[in-house]
Amino acid sequence: MTAMKTTAIRWAVIVGTIAAAITPIAARATDPVLPPPYAGVYQPQGVDEIGLWHDDDDDEHALAASPLVIRDEKLTAYVKRVLCDTVGDDRCAPIRIYIIREPAFNASMSPNGTMRVLSGLFLRVRNDSEFGAVLGHEFGHFESRHTLAAFKGRRSGTDLLAWTALLASVAPSYGMARSYDDLRYSVYGSIFRHGRDQEREADRLGIAYLNHSHFRPQSASVMWHTVMAEAEASARAKGLKKPNFKTIAFTASHPPEAERAHYLAALAAPDDAGRADGADRYRAALAPWMPVFLDDQIKLNDFGGSDYLIENLAETGWTAPLWLARGDLYRTRGAQRDYANAATFYANAIDLDPTLAPAFRGLGLTLVKTGRTTEGQDALRRYLALSPTAPGAKLVRMMVPQGTNP
Amino acid sequence: MTPRLPHRVIVAALSIALVAMPALAHKLREKGVAVTVADSSLTVTPTRDWNRLGQSPGKHAETWTLDGEQLDDVTFYAGIAPGEPLVKERSKKRDPLPKFTATTQIVEIPELLEGTYRTYKSIGAFTLVSTDPVKFLGHDGVLFTYDYTDEDLLTRRGEARATIVDGKLYMITFDAPRLYYFDRFLGDARALSGSATL
Amino acid sequence: MTRALRSFVIATGIAALVAAPTTAQERSATKQGFDLPANSAKRILVFRPSVRVGAQSTGGMFEPNADWTDKATRNIAASLTKLQSTLGNTVVTAPEAYGDDAQTLQEHMALFAAVSDAVIQYQFFKGNRLPTKKRDNKADVFDWSLGTGVASLPGAKDADYGLFIYNRDAYGSTGRKVLQVLAALGPGLAVKSGEHLGYAGLVDLRTGDLLWLNADAAMGGDVRDAEGSEKRVRQLLEDFPGSTIRATADQPAADPPVAAPRPDTVAAPR
Repeated sequence: MTAMKTTAIRWAVIVGTIAAAITPIAARATDPVLPPPYAGVYQPQGVDEIGLWHDDDDDEHALAASPLVIRDEKLTAYVKRVLCDTVGDDRCAPIRIYIIREPAFNASMSPNGTMRVLSGLFLRVRNDSEFGAVLGHEFGHFESRHTLAAFKGRRSGTDLLAWTALLASVAPSYGMARSYDDLRYSVYGSIFRHGRDQEREADRLGIAYLNHSHFRPQSASVMWHTVMAEAEASARAKGLKKPNFKTIAFTASHPPEAERAHYLAALAAPDDAGRADGADRYRAALAPWMPVFLDDQIKLNDFGGSDYLIENLAETGWTAPLWLARGDLYRTRGAQRDYANAATFYANAIDLDPTLAPAFRGLGLTLVKTGRTTEGQDALRRYLALSPTAPGAKLVRMMVPQGTNP
Repeated sequence: MTPRLPHRVIVAALSIALVAMPALAHKLREKGVAVTVADSSLTVTPTRDWNRLGQSPGKHAETWTLDGEQLDDVTFYAGIAPGEPLVKERSKKRDPLPKFTATTQIVEIPELLEGTYRTYKSIGAFTLVSTDPVKFLGHDGVLFTYDYTDEDLLTRRGEARATIVDGKLYMITFDAPRLYYFDRFLGDARALSGSATL
Repeated sequence: MTRALRSFVIATGIAALVAAPTTAQERSATKQGFDLPANSAKRILVFRPSVRVGAQSTGGMFEPNADWTDKATRNIAASLTKLQSTLGNTVVTAPEAYGDDAQTLQEHMALFAAVSDAVIQYQFFKGNRLPTKKRDNKADVFDWSLGTGVASLPGAKDADYGLFIYNRDAYGSTGRKVLQVLAALGPGLAVKSGEHLGYAGLVDLRTGDLLWLNADAAMGGDVRDAEGSEKRVRQLLEDFPGSTIRATADQPAADPPVAAPRPDTVAAPR
């Protein structure tokens, strides 16, 4: 009896939200959205939903034992804290967080309350507010049972195209490891592509959570701008006309950028603009992992996107790891004009942290490659002094006459 | 290196009953018979029978296996010239791979392989474990080992030898699941590498 | 032409060039010299079978059905126990694993999947066999392993063999059946309505050797009911070493234990 009544309230809220979504944005600009009333721990209903949860539980069982999960209690606890600060302790309590070592920008929630955060996401946000915006958005999908609705929606209609896509993905040709659409992420569980209306709805819920939290709701709009700009920078560097937003899991099927930035900004409660955005806390929590995630990103060979991300992260202040990453990015692209920049970036890293061994290594290699052999060897010697037993130290020693003895 | 087909894709392929074309037939490489690889003058003499996969990862690459590339994979890279990637790019414009350059140092070759694997397979879990100097094909080269987890969620170990001769890159890699297969066939893979001449 | 449509045309074109086999989708093999007599008092450890049951929409989407999956899991487990106990060999379910043990178990599962795939791709099916595996087939050799790491899996200490089972059933919807007819009118591309896949593998828990593997991409039996599950398990365990289990219950169980020679089977002489 209680469950039915709860569902009725829930549906009323959802219908109301969708109806509100159809009204012109201007009329609602002064009207910050409230999150739906919290209704207790949800149990799946109906054959489809129970089936999805069941599959999910199996998927979660596999996920918990996956070699790709980052098992760092502190980092996981931090992610949970930001989620709870965003949506409220009562809502976030039953959620399980899994951080996956995958250098792509995405996060998702499964119908059974599993939240997956891909490690690439940490490079696209710069403070707790932006991070909370993404998590809140995903939580919005979860709270509105979008996955279930999307699943039902996809099942109907002519599926010939879907079938040919499946065929294309199993054709025995080399180099088809990329599966079609979001099948690629299905190894991590069901990450569905939502429709535009659902994205809008999740945005609204996300903003509602932010408005009611202690975070700065204006960060949501900023975050989306970053994502779009990264895609454009990536496309530009590749000489492509425009970015293919379909290949970015988080942006495919999202509303157009201008519309989105507009309504996100409009819905953010104006009084909250003065709140702190939590940049310091974010940086502190991510400090042990940031160099690793930066490295994962650099090694994807996406020059434009990676350069944009580094500069974006540096807006709140350059750090030695950021300069190091930039140096590696330019050195590994390896066009002649890149080496001069790389040398500067490594030098900047060393200025901020004279014990950062990889920066000396990078600088030394770069100088040697541009014919500045003596200076290069000096830098390599300093690298060997700092890291005599690092992998590759023996090889570096061979590049340096009378090198430092271990 | 060959792309790993996810388990469910192979299963789906069986159910749709598509078959590989005859042109992709795999060839036997007999024990004791010297052969060239990867369309080059790089020559190896197997110490046991190996299978050469019908499809090559790239213009200057070739893969041999005993049981299937998902279980043991020796890949030869021969004569990679400056400006070229290690394997064939899916799309030169949209998905470019890192390139070997005229100024690539021997010590940077492991990073080139790492970048190639990470970019091609879209993975985040790759660790360079060791890097040491070695003589390979009669020249100064690098011997390195690594671990990575592919899309099939199986963690693999790799050992590679590489060098630069006349400005071109030559490399032989051996990848296998770290559970059982890597240790079991490392000796055979090293014998292949050891027999290589240019 | 859209990219997807072009791929479709290419795919059907390939299939037209090579006669798409609708037979030979089931194979099993036994390690040479392996024998598991009935009533040998061996303990068989069954790892959490991967069982998924659902419906298959027109587009091939798998629609999970938890009710069906639960029933099938229970039925399959019950059938397993029943059939195995008639051999006098005990079936034990592997204990639940946690933490590091769970990760090791999962890595072994992933390895079993990779080995099964390699067996199917490179030894079982025509057109793609590795030359050394072709030779093995001729000499009745079946030599695959998961390695001795299996000995440290939870429950392995107290058992002799490990049974890995993978099962997936998607029952074709009406739409899919229509598509099947349409596709058949085209270049002869075989489209399955419904998908009934199963792998079963028996592993020696001391050595890791794969003693027996049965791969079937066209399984029968409706696993949603007890009778169908029993038929399915019979099929999966068909030619299980030392057993007299036949695919259908009405086949005489009095056949002698020596497997009759079948063109597609690599079986050990007994």
